[in-house]
Amino acid sequence: MKCKKVQRYLPLIVGSDISKSKVSEVKAHMEKCPECRNEYDSYVLSLGKTKEWLAKEREDWEDREWQQVVKIAIGDKEPELSPLALWPFRKVWAYVMMAVFAVVLTFFVIRPGFYKEGVIPGTRMVAESQAKLFESFKDKSEQDIISMTIVSKDTGLKIVWFFNKNFDLEDKK
Amino acid sequence: MWMKNDDELVEEVLRGDDVSFEILLRPYRQGILNMAYRMTENLEEAKEVCQDTLIKIYKYLYKFKKGESFQNWIYKITVNSTYDFLRKKKKYEEIVERQKSLAASINQDPEKQLLNKEIKNKIKACLQNLGPKEKAVFILRDGEGFSIKETSEILGCSSVSVRTNLLRARQKIKTQFEKIYPVEVRDVKR
Repeated sequence: MKCKKVQRYLPLIVGSDISKSKVSEVKAHMEKCPECRNEYDSYVLSLGKTKEWLAKEREDWEDREWQQVVKIAIGDKEPELSPLALWPFRKVWAYVMMAVFAVVLTFFVIRPGFYKEGVIPGTRMVAESQAKLFESFKDKSEQDIISMTIVSKDTGLKIVWFFNKNFDLEDKK
Repeated sequence: MWMKNDDELVEEVLRGDDVSFEILLRPYRQGILNMAYRMTENLEEAKEVCQDTLIKIYKYLYKFKKGESFQNWIYKITVNSTYDFLRKKKKYEEIVERQKSLAASINQDPEKQLLNKEIKNKIKACLQNLGPKEKAVFILRDGEGFSIKETSEILGCSSVSVRTNLLRARQKIKTQFEKIYPVEVRDVKR
């Protein structure tokens, strides 16, 4: 192998980026040729120094800065999915299904017209028991006032007192 | 502790687990930053490039093919984002101008340069003398330690093209290195 050819291969030989057969040919030549050997040494030095510098001077992210960059990347858009991706993996479908489920739930459980007009949910049982009490007092009691309701002006709290049939509210006796 | 591989993490991100996205990229965060930094020669610009890279990675993650190297894929996006950035900012012209002035200043008085500046900056000057493709090849191969085959995959070119650019890059680095770090100085330092 001639010097010109050897020197063409040298930049690749320093990084072991050439076939082993070429490397052994070049090395055999360099043993006899000091000029090519010097050239090879120069490549080793320049590449070695540059690599050393590249390794020393590595920049890195501050954690907070990195988190911010990732957040911005995620924040803008959701990852696009292949058109062949199954619908459960798409977020939009999940939201639509949740909305449909909520509507269906509302329709069947909290149906409009479920309660009779004028009756507030939860008060029906109280009203019925009051009516029964009134009926029971109607004939037997001397007391014509059977209950008294006190309503707080501040809080709207209601207290209903039911009187014993023998209780004399107006002190008639 | 059992670590999930890249393919599993990609699956999780595609299912909507955003936390996995950060875990997926964490091992490569320094590598892509340095790749962009060497190419742009400016840390702030490199971070801008990385931001753009991450947005692209997240957006087009579904295009990543399982079983392939995720590392190569993100470096490919980083290199392309850097090229886009440099093109947009007309960096090519700026770099060429800078290289000319730098080479001229080094040629004028190499020994004086040696005395006034740190060796680190002069080696940096060696890198500045490379064209964008030569620089990309050199950084991937000698800076990040990718093989010739991986470098060719990342840059989307043949192995022959990678070797050609690598050869030119190393020749230019050596030439520049000898101008700013002459043989007599090297001998004294030894």
